[in-house]
Amino acid sequence: MNDEQTFEIHIIENGPTHIKGKFSFKDSAGNLSAEHNELFFCRCGRSKNKPFCDGSHKNQWQTPE
Amino acid sequence: MASYDSDYSGSNDRQYTNGEITVFWKPNKCIHATTCYKELIEVFNPRKRPWVNMNGASTEEIIRVVNLCPTEALTFKYNKNLSEQPVRQILPETENEVRVMRDGPLVIKGNFKVYGPDGTEYKRMKMVSICRCGASLQMPFCDGTHRKIGFTGK
Ligand code: FES
Repeated sequence: MNDEQTFEIHIIENGPTHIKGKFSFKDSAGNLSAEHNELFFCRCGRSKNKPFCDGSHKNQWQTPE
Repeated sequence: MASYDSDYSGSNDRQYTNGEITVFWKPNKCIHATTCYKELIEVFNPRKRPWVNMNGASTEEIIRVVNLCPTEALTFKYNKNLSEQPVRQILPETENEVRVMRDGPLVIKGNFKVYGPDGTEYKRMKMVSICRCGASLQMPFCDGTHRKIGFTGK
């Protein structure tokens, strides 16, 4: 596996979705942005900067069981 | 080595080997895309029994066609790694893409791996929806709960 091909999704406990590697990103309006290396996406639904994580999950959210 | 045709755990799943790799066939996953026999009738011939002839082509050619199957109906393992998860590579043309669905999940396509909080890898998929609303009961995957709770992506 070389870096060129890495595309990994890491679910952070009680925190965001950390995506790293080579991927393109489309927002909900369908706008495509260039190749990314690393983004953190909100998973708790509380971020003020959706779809990205702004730290709002801290001490406020736990993964539902 | 001859291919064999075995039925196990009461299902219709089959496996076929040429001694080097084993091809696994899960009929209930087949969506009848016909890719396998259009590509390699010498190996995948639905009119013959067994329908998979592992001596009909080279291992490399069989792997290439197994990897073209659009579902998990055909997978393979190297016989030396039989205890591992079946291998299924994603087609190289698949674009790596992360897409935000309005008021819904993240949809991820391509050749990716998903790791849980404890570092274990989830089953390989070529498309996945990751929950953004915080309320799925199938975390980290979207289970449709976002609609019930009226999640908005704003
Ligand atoms: S985004 Fe679909 S269940 Fe949370």
